[in-house]
Amino acid sequence: MIANSSIADAAQGEASGYNFAYLDEQTKRMIRRALLKAVAIPGYQVPFGGREMPMPYGWGTGGMQLTASVLGADDTLKVIDQGADDTTNAVSIRAFFERVAGVETTTATGEASVIQTRHRIPEKTLRADQILIFQVPIPEPLRFIEPSEEETRVMHALEEYGVMHVKLYEDIAHHGHIATTYAYPVKVDGRYVMDPSPIPKFDNPKLHMSEALMLFGAGREKRLYAIPPHTRVESLDFEDHPFEIQAWEQPCAICGATDSYLDEVITDDQGGRMFVCSDTDYCNTRREDMA
Amino acid sequence: MNMTAPREESVRPHDWPGLTDAVHDAQQRFRRLLGCMSEPGTLTSMALPSLPPGAAISSAAWGTLLALCDLETRVWIDATLSGAGLAAALAFHTGARVTPDPANADFALVTPTTLTQVEEFALGSDAWPDRSTTLIVMVETIESQGDWQLCGPGVPGERRLGLGDPDQVRPLMRVLHANRGRFPRGLDAFITCGTQLTAIARSTRLSGPGLEQPELSSAREEIA
Amino acid sequence: MYVAVKGGEKAIANAHRWMADRRRGDRQQAELAVAQVQDQLGLAVDRIMAEASLYDPELAALAFKQASGDTVEAVFLLRAYRTTLPRLAETRPVNTSDMCIERRISATFKDVPGGQVLGPTYDYTHRLLDFMLLAGGDRDVAEPEQADQDLEACPQILDCLNQEGLIEREQDDGSEPYDITRDPPDFPVDRATRLQMLARGDEGYLLALGYSTQRGYGRNHPFAGEIRQGTVEVEIEVEGFDAPICVGEIVMSECQMINQFAGNGDSAPQFTRGYGLAFGRNERKTMAMALVDRALRAEELGEPIQSPAQQAEFVLAHADSVEASGFVSHLKLPHYVDFQSELDLIRRLRREHAERTQGDTQHAQASGADTAADTATAPTASKECAQ
Repeated sequence: MIANSSIADAAQGEASGYNFAYLDEQTKRMIRRALLKAVAIPGYQVPFGGREMPMPYGWGTGGMQLTASVLGADDTLKVIDQGADDTTNAVSIRAFFERVAGVETTTATGEASVIQTRHRIPEKTLRADQILIFQVPIPEPLRFIEPSEEETRVMHALEEYGVMHVKLYEDIAHHGHIATTYAYPVKVDGRYVMDPSPIPKFDNPKLHMSEALMLFGAGREKRLYAIPPHTRVESLDFEDHPFEIQAWEQPCAICGATDSYLDEVITDDQGGRMFVCSDTDYCNTRREDMA
Repeated sequence: MNMTAPREESVRPHDWPGLTDAVHDAQQRFRRLLGCMSEPGTLTSMALPSLPPGAAISSAAWGTLLALCDLETRVWIDATLSGAGLAAALAFHTGARVTPDPANADFALVTPTTLTQVEEFALGSDAWPDRSTTLIVMVETIESQGDWQLCGPGVPGERRLGLGDPDQVRPLMRVLHANRGRFPRGLDAFITCGTQLTAIARSTRLSGPGLEQPELSSAREEIA
Repeated sequence: MYVAVKGGEKAIANAHRWMADRRRGDRQQAELAVAQVQDQLGLAVDRIMAEASLYDPELAALAFKQASGDTVEAVFLLRAYRTTLPRLAETRPVNTSDMCIERRISATFKDVPGGQVLGPTYDYTHRLLDFMLLAGGDRDVAEPEQADQDLEACPQILDCLNQEGLIEREQDDGSEPYDITRDPPDFPVDRATRLQMLARGDEGYLLALGYSTQRGYGRNHPFAGEIRQGTVEVEIEVEGFDAPICVGEIVMSECQMINQFAGNGDSAPQFTRGYGLAFGRNERKTMAMALVDRALRAEELGEPIQSPAQQAEFVLAHADSVEASGFVSHLKLPHYVDFQSELDLIRRLRREHAERTQGDTQHAQASGADTAADTATAPTASKECAQ
């Protein structure tokens, strides 16, 4: 049967060839309904009918579908990869939304209303009127312990997270430390164990009681989830091995920051290296402020 | 709510207002809905041209349906809210179908009283808690202060909500209060009055007149 | 002073230009027309259509040209286009029994109603390179001979076995099939869903899995009951019309495998089925699909699940070439931040290891202290994590 509303939706996008923000309205509505479930059940992975995007799976299609569903004409978008606005994939995704949505874009964290990110949370504390959208490769925190989706679904349903603690404990037994340094599992509002996407564990504390809404999209795995603002997010740990974040012995070589996540850059083939902020906007802003 | 006697046959589906701009109006409405559901108890407004005479639902409820419904959604409508040909208008504007089975509904248009009579809305399962009915509720008043206290995700500390006569809305609040005991299964609710809208998520801890104290089992995690 | 690498945008633009130049190749050579690809590289076009789940030979040919002949890339291009198309109507199920046959063979019966129709196939060609094609001798390819009479009706061969009850019956239970292009599959999934996933699955992957079942990893004794290839009508129902309306014809390949028995004390032994179906001329794909389909029915048929091809979630979750190539290739994206985390940890672990071994040689060599022992005291989970 032919549906009136799908023809209306189709007509909508004809002017430019593609609809505003690329996705058709029906797909956006499907994702929006799933997002409302996600914020109501913090940390639970809501299945959604993920679509092929004109970029490869694994390159941020989940984040892009969420961004496309959330974005409005009056939004200002920032896209970062590894904390930087100028990495090739961030450039590519930003250009995509400039083209298909015509929205304003920015590299300044403070000026963005929607930020799509891969692997980092900006250093500058986010505000209540901002939404952070994470690109997620493997949304299931238990996947590397139990590869079967059927099994992990039951584990989440029964709140059976013992295996996760066993895994972290084995790390301690082998290495003396929990050997997970990124995609470090968290527990959301005391219920769901959640993968915060492959952010360094340095960023985990920023998830806790954030002012900003955080949305997570896994396109290939067709799952989305959320942490509403002001939600308890605890990194899993043990009393005698409490969660701790990375620290560096030196400040950023460019801006001198001592509170930011640093990338190591190899400067020569003699073992020379330096450490610089991974968040390029944070680093630039600090330098401009100093000047 | 419009109290003039409904003359259904005279109201045509296209007398109900649609979205002026299907893309951007829907997006803006969704952002308000998302804001309310992620920060339960906050208030927003959903301005819309007025509904036709005989319509028994709020503008905000209609706006919510326009933003979220399509061919893939099923809506359950309480008989007292179906005035002015709502079902036909919904099908005309969104393609959504009306279901007589509350357990099959993605959205349910209800009043607090409905919840004393109908209990079969889908709660989802522990494995698939998202497969639940979202309530769209008509109430007499919404205020950012009053009898009901909300806390939990989306609420810094505590948030207050007033929904008029507590006796009248208690059936609704009891149902939403019960969410904590069966989490992650549960019902999420958009609560509307005229153009005003707020939300209570199933993760919200509710307290207020006539609601029992939280059970021990749900108190356990508060300690941590 | 160190300056972070910039200019991603320019680099991307230049990379695209270079790639376009590579694709076009030597400008002295005539440009490859999409119509030529569609016409003369038809099997590549068919594979792309099947794995992209979009029947459009012209666009599939365009994708193949644009992708410089990279089939996986072409499938992705077409799939990404498909997802933007509005869904205007749903077709009725295609009836392959009414197929206008161009090829139809059975390995189980010497003769069958309707007969064996060899049709166009490479099967009995000698795989000798034809240097005439290299020399441009393609011009005088003769037209195939036409049969004097129309083909007789070709009933489904497996249905002939049905009359004796020798093979399990397959009946439409009338339920709406799940649509994997609209909703994500929830494992475990039913057979209709599995078949959808296999139909768009990567041919090489299915071929390898199907092959593994023949070599004992989930053996199910297959016979090629019937393979048919030809044109079927696509119909939709429109309000106000009594009969369905034909909106076009598509070429399809179908394979029905007959496999060894199921049956127990309660039910008599019966042959079982494996099924493969794909757009276009995709015979190898449909055969592999039928083998894998049968292997995935292990649980339903009460067979032990021991081999990779029998594990539904494993097989299905990794069958899609667009998903697989995307996730494998994403490793090319920067991972500086995560790698930095790992560097930090491994340096720390090595430092501690060095301190320990140094300490051991200095003090406690004789005590036999296990370096792991001092760290292996069971940590106690803190309250918020213990469940």
